[in-house]
Amino acid sequence: MDRRESLRRFLGAYPDTRLLPEHAVKGFLREAGLPVPVGFFIPAGDPLPDCSRLSYPLAAKVSSSRIRSKSDVGGIRLGLKDSTGVATAVADLMGIENAEGVILEEQAQPGTEVIVGGIIDPQFGPVVMFGLGGVLVELFHDVAFALAPMTRDDACRLMERVKGYRLLTGYRGAPPRDREALADILVTVSELIATGLLEEIDLNPVALYPSGAMILDAKMFVAVRH
Amino acid sequence: MEFEGLCRGGCVVITTHEIDNNLGRTFMECGFFTSVFNLQATNLPGCSMKELDCLFFPKSVALVGATPDPAKLGGIVLRNLIRLKGTVYPVNPKYGEILGIRSFPSVADLPETVDLSVILRPAADVPAILEAHRGKARFVLVVSAGFAEVGASELQAEIIRIGREGGLRLVGPNCLGLYNPRHRLDTMFLPHACLKRPKRGNVAVVSQSGAVMICLLEAIRMANTGISKVVNYGNAVDLDAPEVYEYLAEDDDTAVVVSYLESVGDGRRFLKAARFLSDRKPLLILKAGKGAGGGAAAFSHTGRLAGNYEVFHSLMNHYGLHEVACFDELLDGAKAVSYQRPVPGKRVCIITNGGGAGVLAVDECAHRGLVLPDLPDEVRRDLREAFPSFYTVANPIDLTGQVRVDDYREALFAVRDVCDGFLVIAMTGVAGVTLRLADHLREFREKAGKPVVVHIAQGGVAPRLIRLTERAGIPVYPSPERAVRGLASLLGKGGSHG
Repeated sequence: MDRRESLRRFLGAYPDTRLLPEHAVKGFLREAGLPVPVGFFIPAGDPLPDCSRLSYPLAAKVSSSRIRSKSDVGGIRLGLKDSTGVATAVADLMGIENAEGVILEEQAQPGTEVIVGGIIDPQFGPVVMFGLGGVLVELFHDVAFALAPMTRDDACRLMERVKGYRLLTGYRGAPPRDREALADILVTVSELIATGLLEEIDLNPVALYPSGAMILDAKMFVAVRH
Repeated sequence: MEFEGLCRGGCVVITTHEIDNNLGRTFMECGFFTSVFNLQATNLPGCSMKELDCLFFPKSVALVGATPDPAKLGGIVLRNLIRLKGTVYPVNPKYGEILGIRSFPSVADLPETVDLSVILRPAADVPAILEAHRGKARFVLVVSAGFAEVGASELQAEIIRIGREGGLRLVGPNCLGLYNPRHRLDTMFLPHACLKRPKRGNVAVVSQSGAVMICLLEAIRMANTGISKVVNYGNAVDLDAPEVYEYLAEDDDTAVVVSYLESVGDGRRFLKAARFLSDRKPLLILKAGKGAGGGAAAFSHTGRLAGNYEVFHSLMNHYGLHEVACFDELLDGAKAVSYQRPVPGKRVCIITNGGGAGVLAVDECAHRGLVLPDLPDEVRRDLREAFPSFYTVANPIDLTGQVRVDDYREALFAVRDVCDGFLVIAMTGVAGVTLRLADHLREFREKAGKPVVVHIAQGGVAPRLIRLTERAGIPVYPSPERAVRGLASLLGKGGSHG
């Protein structure tokens, strides 16, 4: 099934939503072959399910279509080491205003944080963005753009165009990061935004490791449907 | 599946197979993509050569609003236009004859279909005049202002519709139009007494703004270089930069294109045409309107970071296109590439007789990503033997205020093979710098076949030395930094041009 068809089917499950819930987006990205943390979604009002399948430590995050930044409302709890800690964190997060549920997932190892995004530019149409990510992305502004969809070669040239590129190739003794895994993510995001079905897609941060990558947060904003 | 284009005149039909993108079809299926991207104008019947040949080399030109009064725009343009290598038809119902040329009451009365018609009437009259052009003109240049730029978007939409329905290609509105010295085509409403025209040369100017275009023409004339073709297309309702880029890419008279843009219209079409052109000859682009930030209300980080200019600038970089930062840089680069061909490589040697000017040049080289290699031992040894002990034999080579003019020649040939480009700085306030320097520069340039630019300052023989040097095909700049900018446009990725 091609990207457009699988995305169209996925969006069909959310006919009245433009900002898709994070757990759904991550589920879709997993199906598309991209690395996302193992975990599940607890809707508001549901009891805490059995977490024994997950490996500690866990991370818990509030989920809501009306919260733009989870960290700004204290909606992220990290380093949960046991079931008591999980229960307390989930109860706290459910108490945040507008909370629609809580995402509980295995906490990823720290890595080099990058951002991969896509938008529909009014002049150039579907465009993909790459840059150094995390919460400071809008402060440092170290990003570059290319037309979507793009090839792997294009994806590699895009990576090279940010100032922080050396963080990926092994800076000051650190091991190089897995640029092949990053290229997979860039190419897939470029194909998703090029379908025209989305208005914006934002993977931030994506943690890069010496081997592999992990998409820690993911947002999709659906285009106006015709 | 066929879509009719929104913004090009003539028979503009695009089909899905023209979309050069493997996901093009999916774009087409979603709303606004259909009208904005990948429009292609087809050739008009009756125009056997390239379509834009009719625009730049019209066999016949009508002037609607021609008048004998030399103080009015219609009188100024007619005086500029009658030099045309072709037939000119004044159109004005008040006159049977203007400047000795038979005048026609309306375009409907013209004895033939003209390649180009120029409209110099108030905006409100333009729709009716355009209607009368149906079947009587291929290109119509609307000089008149008073359209979308002042908020009259409906009036602009109306002329787009009339042009499309009438099979007329439109240039403008709100523009000065065309200048092609080879064909003595000049539609600019500026008297020669106010704006001296540059000589014929190899620089093409593609400008959205008329005022910037005039400044460029004057600066190009002052820089001792010349013009191949000029177009100012204003509001760009039909003719836009990409179509002109594609034409100029294959225009033998044009060696370099300088372009000033405010909007890019269909961004993908723009990139494709700009890449096509810049694969063949240098294209320098200055984009105004850098302030428009990202959508502050956008929902994602990406949306907030993706301002119109940020995306434009980043895509120019990604696809290897040459964007300049300001007007001066556009001009300095254009001057250099109009004199010499770009080469690959980024190694520069600076030969100066003033230490400070050399240091300023070094700083600018660093800023532009140019490299100043150390001189090899044997070169240093040779120069040490040839020069007085107080000369600095390094890079820059400092010949000091006690320079003898032949030292420049000695230094240039010594470093000929170790660098890709050369900056010579001549401070004419000392007795040792004479007009013979121009002969040395010419000889070196001919034998080395590599880029050479010069900074000359301090009066004395400077004006004559500048003239002789530029006559030898070497551009001269009034400051060390500007000379480096010129050299930078001749080095590095410039080497991709054939």
